[in-house]
Amino acid sequence: MSLPCGIRNYSYNTDTAIIRTRTQWVLFAAFLLLLFAMPLYIPRFGLDIINLIGITIIAVIGLNILVGYCGQLSIGHAGFMAVGAYTTAILTTTFGWPYFAALICSGISAGLIGLLFGMPSMRVKGFYLAITTIAAQFIIIWIINHWTDVTRGSIGMGVASASVGSFQFNSEIKQFYLITGITALCVLFATNLARGRAGRAFVAVRDNDLAAEVMGINVFSYKLLAFFLGCFFAGIAGSLFAQWRGNITAEDFTFSQSILYVGILIIGGLGTSIGPILGVGTMGLLLYWLLPVVLTPALEGMNIMPSGFSSGLGPMIFGTIMILSLVLEPRGLAHLWSLFKASYRLWPFSY
Amino acid sequence: MTQLLQYTITGLAVGMIYALIALGFALIWKSSRVANLALGQLVLISSWFTYGMLTQAKLPIWLGLIVTILFAIFLGWLIERFTLRPLIGQPALSLIAVTLGLAYFLEGLVTVIWPVSVAKLPALFPQEPVNIGTAVISQEYLWAAGVSLLLFAILSVFFKFHKMGIAMRATADDQLAIQACAVPITRIFSMSWIFACIVAAIGGVLVSSIGGITNALVETGFKSFSVVILGGMDSFLGCIIAGPIIGLCENVGAGYLTGIIGPGIKDLIPFVIIIIVMMIKPYGLFGEERIERI
Amino acid sequence: MRHYKIGAVTTVMVFVFIFSLLAGCTSPVAPAAKAIKVGFNIPFTGPAAEKGQPIGQGELDAMKYINDELGGVNGNKIEVVWYDTKYDSNQATTNAKKLLADGCAFFTAVSSKDAVASQKIANDNGFPCLVVFSSPSLTHPSEHMYAQLPDYGDDWAAFTKYYMQNIWKGNGKPKMALEIANTPTGYGVRDAARAAAADLGVEIVAVEEHTATTMSETDSLTRIQAKNPDVLFISSTPAPTSVILKNAYDLKMMPGITVGCAHASFTKALVDLAGPTVSQGVYGVFPTVSWGDDVPGMAKMTEYAKARHPEFIGNGDYITGWASSLINAEIIRQALKTSTVDVLSGGDAAAWKAAEEQGFLQVKGYDVQGLHGPVDFSNPLDKRGSKSVKIFQVQDGKIVSLTGWVDAPLIQYEKFDWFK
Repeated sequence: MSLPCGIRNYSYNTDTAIIRTRTQWVLFAAFLLLLFAMPLYIPRFGLDIINLIGITIIAVIGLNILVGYCGQLSIGHAGFMAVGAYTTAILTTTFGWPYFAALICSGISAGLIGLLFGMPSMRVKGFYLAITTIAAQFIIIWIINHWTDVTRGSIGMGVASASVGSFQFNSEIKQFYLITGITALCVLFATNLARGRAGRAFVAVRDNDLAAEVMGINVFSYKLLAFFLGCFFAGIAGSLFAQWRGNITAEDFTFSQSILYVGILIIGGLGTSIGPILGVGTMGLLLYWLLPVVLTPALEGMNIMPSGFSSGLGPMIFGTIMILSLVLEPRGLAHLWSLFKASYRLWPFSY
Repeated sequence: MTQLLQYTITGLAVGMIYALIALGFALIWKSSRVANLALGQLVLISSWFTYGMLTQAKLPIWLGLIVTILFAIFLGWLIERFTLRPLIGQPALSLIAVTLGLAYFLEGLVTVIWPVSVAKLPALFPQEPVNIGTAVISQEYLWAAGVSLLLFAILSVFFKFHKMGIAMRATADDQLAIQACAVPITRIFSMSWIFACIVAAIGGVLVSSIGGITNALVETGFKSFSVVILGGMDSFLGCIIAGPIIGLCENVGAGYLTGIIGPGIKDLIPFVIIIIVMMIKPYGLFGEERIERI
Repeated sequence: MRHYKIGAVTTVMVFVFIFSLLAGCTSPVAPAAKAIKVGFNIPFTGPAAEKGQPIGQGELDAMKYINDELGGVNGNKIEVVWYDTKYDSNQATTNAKKLLADGCAFFTAVSSKDAVASQKIANDNGFPCLVVFSSPSLTHPSEHMYAQLPDYGDDWAAFTKYYMQNIWKGNGKPKMALEIANTPTGYGVRDAARAAAADLGVEIVAVEEHTATTMSETDSLTRIQAKNPDVLFISSTPAPTSVILKNAYDLKMMPGITVGCAHASFTKALVDLAGPTVSQGVYGVFPTVSWGDDVPGMAKMTEYAKARHPEFIGNGDYITGWASSLINAEIIRQALKTSTVDVLSGGDAAAWKAAEEQGFLQVKGYDVQGLHGPVDFSNPLDKRGSKSVKIFQVQDGKIVSLTGWVDAPLIQYEKFDWFK
């Protein structure tokens, strides 16, 4: 991190601090204040979209650990979210467990399933592994649809809102605090993971796994750990999603969702801590608010476009953004953000 | 026993169609090590274009098909020029991701130009089913199987003996080395994408004359992944052999397992095969095993 | 190189900032004018657009007709708020919450997937919802969701009833096989058959699933053929249904056994895809009349369709959408008999309660200008509006109506353990 002039680090603690100077603490406090005061200035409906964005951020953070830090391409993330969601549904509705216990169990169960489907990473990598995760997604969805005794198949399962004892999180504002709190914890955990021993091992595996093996890193166990952690986050996200939505079916976790998460991650910036947040923030607003709520009624109201136009517009825009971001700035929005910060610090000196 | 014959014949026929689409995938992998995840959408847009030519512009069949091939050539050139050329030398993840973005874009484009989501091509093949023993198969499948074999033969010969084919294989092996030999790498990528689009167009026409043009063509692309994995991602022979194997496993397996496990097992079989192959023989039956050195 | 990137990034961020400020400013604060608002949650784009577009345009055109030519309901214009769900459950949920916040008295959801996504908001808040294409889990047990039309299970029940009365000439129980899509369209039929086959007097000998992308169902049809059924019922979308019909024809099952289709696939697209020879004699169920039938509502609807959306003429879903808006107007008309515009435009729990108890539940025997079966919401056990369908048959490449309105018997899913 580039520090202002005159500030030096004399101990390991200060050297590795994320927030170091007083200015940074003030800015951070202001940001937290703005964040947690959102219900005051954002309408109810906007809060709902923010909740959905929060849940997606958790899922994409998991994907970031797997794909961004460890380099194991996974296009089956929605399937692991489904595992988490259904675990919560079954534990809370069928067995009556309290929600937060079910939350942790969903994460663990999704992580274990991820571990299972990550076994092939011992033998293959790159695209072959991606195909395995695609197969994992389809297999998980198939099992959910057909194990009707447990999952009620296509009828779906209802999930009550999260609750602690008798306090239920059943309004947007309460959901907002629940989801934002858990998201903040996940971001903190993921950032520290990336800075720690495991994170460095992941990056080593990503960059050149043979060299990593030679250096003494147990490549297979770190790959499995990446799968477990990535899918743990997916499970948490799935569990929050289940109680946010109220009822779930297998159709909520499609293959296009998985592709969407990978695309959002790439646009945001692979292998960075702020990448998932930026990517989900921008793409989520575009896809969930701008296109269907603002643009489509406006276009249809004008009645001049042929009927298929607004249908195709969304995927076309998303596809174009993805291609452009890969061609022009493969390191994503996170890199643009760090460039912006750097030039702000150095302005007017352009070097 | 008659059931077994019917399952076998159907399985072989359907498998040849998977193999046809898988050929397009193997083509691009063999020449540039790019995993083309937009394969289903390429098939879709070619089919819709054929529909546009034959039904909307009312061209005679032979002319319409030729125009479709020309369109496929143009599309392949466009894709390579604008999405892949800027990414030469980038890591594999970027290449896969750009094909994902392309997939989204093509799907949106299809919806904008042809907002009707289901259509039928005019009958290109005679409709009478053919009897093989006690089993019945409709002629479209036989035509598709025949075309697959023909394409396989042409592509294999091209890659083995023609100068351009050898250059493509060399590019897949080591891009830097081939550039040092003064071969224009961009032209090689263009050619491979053009061929792949042509194969996808042919496959699209055949598949949509069986089941009509719907968004389902995209999913057929996913089934072809299992063919490619089983056969080996860079082997045409692998495609042709693995296709019928997967088709057989699907149909015969479903035929007998449905009684035991329940309906719907047919859809699961290709994906379970993928997982099994990954554990046992990751590079497929005929694929080339990559040996990595630091 | 870095210069332009910084400039670009700064410009984009300024744009985003201004945009979000504007968006925040235009968030809905209830305006002074009091108008009754109704909401629509339509899958205008996305995988279901082929049904969402004609239904949505039908709904909007009918609302325009009601407001412009009829002057609204009792002189009160209806304000229409609609959002696109893109057939995505998340989007449908957030849209439903927005419709709630916008002050709608009630809303209409088009596809069953979107309705399931909106179910919690509707039921938890008492915000009534009219569902165009319903499914059993929405209305059994019934709270605040009301189905406009019979669902796929009802299609099966009505067809089976018609078959038993008019086509089956043997003794004892006929053997029926089901070919279902692996989606709620198909599972609805499977559940209905499981619940009611014995009561209706048929024996289900085979249930086969297929995906929407299947290229060949010869194998499942071979298994079905081995059980020698008398009748085959298919519940799927047009493309796989055409594949099934072609395979059945090749296997020489047709002509021979009776084939019936649920309404999701029984459209002109099916006849086009399968061809007149293969689809000859296939029966089908559809919940609305056909274009050109002589019913009171046909003339005005055709006029508006010709003027505004001629591409949907001949598409049964447009009729469904048009009818759905007519039902919206009828609900408001009933509600205004005992309630007031002030209450209904309040956008709060009182408004929703009034819309439901004094609007929905008072709709009895409304004829929807003849466009589909008469609508009756007054029975708390039966939340289906229209309970009847028409049976059609494909003759020489054309879909011909065989019957008047056939009632689909009510299936009480709540009685079964496997349903809960």
